[in-house]
Amino acid sequence: MIKALLKKQIMEVFSWVYFDRKNGKNRSKNGIIGYAALYLLIFGFLGVFFYQIANTLCKPLSDAGFGWLYFALMGMIAVAMGVFGSVFNTYSSLYNAKDNDFLLSLPVPPGKILSMRLLGVYLMGLMYELIIAVPTMIAYFMAIKPTVLSVVFNLLLPVVLSFFVLTLSCILGFLVAAISSRLKNKNIVTVILSLVFIAGYYYIYAQSYKIIQSILAAPEKIGNSVKSVLYPFYQMGLGAEGNALSFLIFISIVAVLFGLTYLVLSKSFLSLATANKGSAKRIYKEKTTKVSSVEKALFFKELRRFMGSATYMLNCGLGIILMLVAAVAVLIMGSKLNAVLSEILGEYSTVVPLLAAAMVCMLTTMNDITAPSVSLEGKNIWLVQSFPIPAKKVLHAKIRLHLLLTAVPASVLVVCVCIGLKISMPYVIVMEALTLIFIFMMALIGLVLNLKMPNLNWTDETVPVKQSIGVMLALFGGWASILALGGLYLLVMKFITPLVYLIIISALLAVVGILLLRWVNTKGAKIFETL
Amino acid sequence: MLNIEHLTKVYGDKKAVDDLSLDIAPGEIYGFIGHNGAGKTTTIKSCCGILKFDSGEIRIDGVSMKEKPLECKSKLAYIPDNPDLYDFMTGVQYLNFVADVFGVSADERQKKIHELAEAFEITDNLAEAISSYSHGMKQKLAIISALLHSPKLVIMDEPFVGLDPKASHLLKQLMREICDNGGAIFFSTHVLEVAEKLCDKIAIIKNGKLIKSGTIEEVKGDTSLEDVFLDLEEEK
Repeated sequence: MIKALLKKQIMEVFSWVYFDRKNGKNRSKNGIIGYAALYLLIFGFLGVFFYQIANTLCKPLSDAGFGWLYFALMGMIAVAMGVFGSVFNTYSSLYNAKDNDFLLSLPVPPGKILSMRLLGVYLMGLMYELIIAVPTMIAYFMAIKPTVLSVVFNLLLPVVLSFFVLTLSCILGFLVAAISSRLKNKNIVTVILSLVFIAGYYYIYAQSYKIIQSILAAPEKIGNSVKSVLYPFYQMGLGAEGNALSFLIFISIVAVLFGLTYLVLSKSFLSLATANKGSAKRIYKEKTTKVSSVEKALFFKELRRFMGSATYMLNCGLGIILMLVAAVAVLIMGSKLNAVLSEILGEYSTVVPLLAAAMVCMLTTMNDITAPSVSLEGKNIWLVQSFPIPAKKVLHAKIRLHLLLTAVPASVLVVCVCIGLKISMPYVIVMEALTLIFIFMMALIGLVLNLKMPNLNWTDETVPVKQSIGVMLALFGGWASILALGGLYLLVMKFITPLVYLIIISALLAVVGILLLRWVNTKGAKIFETL
Repeated sequence: MLNIEHLTKVYGDKKAVDDLSLDIAPGEIYGFIGHNGAGKTTTIKSCCGILKFDSGEIRIDGVSMKEKPLECKSKLAYIPDNPDLYDFMTGVQYLNFVADVFGVSADERQKKIHELAEAFEITDNLAEAISSYSHGMKQKLAIISALLHSPKLVIMDEPFVGLDPKASHLLKQLMREICDNGGAIFFSTHVLEVAEKLCDKIAIIKNGKLIKSGTIEEVKGDTSLEDVFLDLEEEK
């Protein structure tokens, strides 16, 4: 029984290697090898990145007598990585597992089910933690001549540290489960947290060099802080250097923390596993209803779908945030940017409005709201197909949502760019027109691609949103068309001014947009009716 | 009210529905019976304008589904076997959306939502996301939304699956009310006792072909509907 449970848990942890969520089938042998190789490559790249950090820190800190600080710092990064990788797995496998009812109905003690679930989380945490632990060891063994004890403890360290990761994951997973069951606007909160995480990640990445330098400049100060606030990591660092007593102290601390967590979990596992996972209940109060037109009703349906999915918002609406951030940035740094551009471009500085228009259009392509919108109808498609409404009205609603959510921030961005870069009024008007036409065309391209390559049989919405060729083509096709138009200007720049070029391009794109709209209204609508 | 003439629908080289003809008059509750994969859902979806058919004709209240699908759809309501509704909407948002699509006035929809939600006991849940609904609650919501625009014809695929006994009873009452007011019901079911008690007429389909139809008495004679159905199923 235990063997069967263990096998199930390991299969679940590594299901991403052999199971294709796109079609709900197991991958072929070649597919498994290819997928595993891809992940090894990604882990390898990350490993190289962390090796560089480890290599920068290792020798100077060890030479200054702070070798333990090197292990403590890298250990903290490893714990953060392990927790990041396993916390959502903890949430889904420990607190929100789909097979809890089934397993609890089997003649298996709940304690064993819990242990197997924890093993899954442990393995996931260990896998992520090794991305940092392995480069840390390699950098240390290459820079310092290690003692036998140091080698042994270094090899044991990831195994022990992963129990600490598991402990933190269990606690954080519990918090995620507790908070998510009480949240009313889960999707918005998820989007905000994701954006904060992305911004934080890029900030730390950008500042990593400075952070490393400040650690190297004052290891004593940082060391004292770690020693007093994060004592277990101090002992861990000493242990990794070969101090047996410190390693034992660290193991004891981790064992006590994990033991306490296991005790609490084993006492509460049954109630956690069988708890009602419903979200905060809202009681309906009758209000006077407002009647909307069919067009408005369909538009709000699309808007609700967009706002109802953090995945959809983050992957297909990121442009909204990027455009607004760019608008503020260009207002603040406009004069500096102008000076740099003038210096680089010299006598060609008349092309600044062209470059600005290209940048704005580039940012608008980060919104591909229409690109997965047909696929997202999924199993619900019978609804619009059974309603007495023409298919083109349904498709128009998708276009309108894309236009509204992209055109408003894009228009703001154009105004800010023109103010920041001191672009003259005729250009402002043409750039606004071009941007709106470009957005219109891209909305249609996304829709056409999705009508041509729909996928209504998904079980996880990340498949149509993140893994569809249509979305990729809409994004990269937009960039490619901007680059192509930029290249075209180089050929004709001797004959026409940038302003005239922008007007011609606007007219051309408008024609393409109108042709695409005609296709959507006729052939596209027919395709939609028969999906 | 619903007239199906020589309906044929082919998937690849398999005839899912083969030359099927049925006539459902106003005031009739018409049951549609057949084994799994017999072609019931394909017929029903064709009648609702969801599936395009290969040959034959379907008329709703005298209007051709082929020529005027939107006019036909505005006269009918469809309740599928598996109510996949918009999970990202709340119950009341969904009902208002459907009412907007069918152009139901504010007073009319408010009255109907109030009455039907109370009757099906889901008023308190209307402000919650549909994603949190059970199968039965989704089915109730689908039924309420289908009745908002007072359709002349209601087409249902296994409507009683997932409903509690009280809701099933209520649905049967509503079906009878619709027919008493001049409407018609066409529905598929596997529950032969329900068909026997509720329907005015029934049709039995096997491998896409109609094998028997008529009033309950005509179809079952002196035996039970179950016996007739099983006998017909055994015949090759």
